[in-house]
Amino acid sequence: MSRRARIPNLGGARAVVLHRPHPGIEALARQLGAIGLEVTEAWPDLPASAVGADFLFFDVDLGFDEQFPWAPGEAPMPLVALIGSEAPGRIEWALAQKADAQIVKPVGSAGVYSALLIARRAFDERRRLAAEIASLRERVAERQTVVRAVVALSSRTKDEDQAYAQLRALAMSWQVTLEEAARRVVDLQSAEGSHERPRRA
Amino acid sequence: MRLAGRRGFFVWNAAPLKRRIDIGVLYSRSGSYTLLGEACRAGALGAIAAVNADPKRSIAFAAVERDPAGRSEAYAPLAAEILRDTPARHLVGCITSWSRKEVIPALEKQGGLLWYAAPYEGFEASDHVVYLNASPNQHLVPLVAHVAARFGRDAFLVGSNYIWGWEMNRIARDLVADAGGEVRGERYLPLGDTDVSRLVEEVRATAPDFVLNNLIGPSAYAFYAAYAALGRDDPRFRPDRRPIVSCNLTEAELPSIAPFGEGHLSCLPFIHAGEASPSSSFEAAAHAAVTVLADAIEAAGTDAPDAVRQVLAAAPHETALGAIRIDARTQHAALPVKIGRIAGTRFEVLEESRGSVEPDPYLSHYDPAATFRPSLRLVR
Repeated sequence: MSRRARIPNLGGARAVVLHRPHPGIEALARQLGAIGLEVTEAWPDLPASAVGADFLFFDVDLGFDEQFPWAPGEAPMPLVALIGSEAPGRIEWALAQKADAQIVKPVGSAGVYSALLIARRAFDERRRLAAEIASLRERVAERQTVVRAVVALSSRTKDEDQAYAQLRALAMSWQVTLEEAARRVVDLQSAEGSHERPRRA
Repeated sequence: MRLAGRRGFFVWNAAPLKRRIDIGVLYSRSGSYTLLGEACRAGALGAIAAVNADPKRSIAFAAVERDPAGRSEAYAPLAAEILRDTPARHLVGCITSWSRKEVIPALEKQGGLLWYAAPYEGFEASDHVVYLNASPNQHLVPLVAHVAARFGRDAFLVGSNYIWGWEMNRIARDLVADAGGEVRGERYLPLGDTDVSRLVEEVRATAPDFVLNNLIGPSAYAFYAAYAALGRDDPRFRPDRRPIVSCNLTEAELPSIAPFGEGHLSCLPFIHAGEASPSSSFEAAAHAAVTVLADAIEAAGTDAPDAVRQVLAAAPHETALGAIRIDARTQHAALPVKIGRIAGTRFEVLEESRGSVEPDPYLSHYDPAATFRPSLRLVR
């Protein structure tokens, strides 16, 4: 996969900062504004509109699961952890949220831009991998269906190789995955079977 | 904070009572970018003299000068020394991004403010720096738009091998692609290297529509000379067909490349129009830095950097760059954009913006569709 370097387009992106007002994070909103983002600050509750934000910065020191309207690790946007105390329990909690980048408090001018770019890249990559894993899982789960479809088709063809080729041809003409085609073949087969049974009986 | 009374003291200067404020001046007077350092130094010292001579001003500046001699590692210790050992809270200084990035930690540690007067590659907004010269939406973006519309869209990118060249060329790759062109080549020379023969051969072989020059100092001078020789040999490479275009080449360096710069282009916030001074955008920006600083100290009633930052953006400032405003969010100046063509040791203005262009150091508001549609006013 080739990805051409682009001018990162952050203008008008929305960031929510989930942190109580504190001198250690004053520079964060300023820096996000300088970069061109719209910033909303919230504590302790996330506003409903936060679900549509492009980035969420969250406090690791005082944060808790119930602040988020999603299960831990399932945020729909890149997360940046704001770390003060480096207590292992707190770091573990931030990891459970699946933070994509972190900034150590107090926040200065440096570090915010790189956190944005790293978080977005990591989040996109994580999402891409999750989608790929889901699709692979689906295919693995359908292994048995494929075997059953090939067996069903091979009763009408010379051998299994031909049956498999036929299954692929069906998938292409139906414009579905091999696994989906296999499922249809198996469904047809069992439908035919259920019609046949009474006649035989 | 009530620092002013403690650190400043009163001096008699002409008739009125002026409060003395020390400011650091940190420019290199030797090394590979001497001419730029000297131009900025002249601007800063000229503005200090103007502030001191102005009877309407309630303050007088005393320059605390240090010379890093072009050595990037010398900047941070000298900045720290000024902030630690003298009353100065403000520094006017640095040319290269390298030196600016070295100085920022010292400013953060000791609570100083740097007034930075060189054009740079953007993607920074330190609250310890006020940026008085152009960043890419005020130089590179309008420059590529100008040349793509007139000479063609295909570019060759050259630069000195450090952050300015790398980042400028990275942005240029995107701009050229958005203009519908292609990058025919991209080459870097070590700082100070003057062996440009291979570079010129590659430009000849690939025949781009323009060459974006991000070389600095002697490397740039050698490149202009060699390119002029190529143009004499092969008319396809004359400046009216395939110009070299730059964002950091000003009047300060034109005597060093004359007559080989003739007809090539620069995009700058200030072009010398014959007045006594300032005579380049480096000089004008450093001059403006001191003017804005004086305005802000008078408005704040103190030279404490936090107080100065609070009032910076409150009103426009009459400066050597014209009437300019500082954007509170980014601490970058809104600046005019001018595209000039080299004629002797001056520039002819080909095109200029209507008024000032707001700073956008992260190119967050860059819009390819609007950029590659003509929007600047044609002067001639």
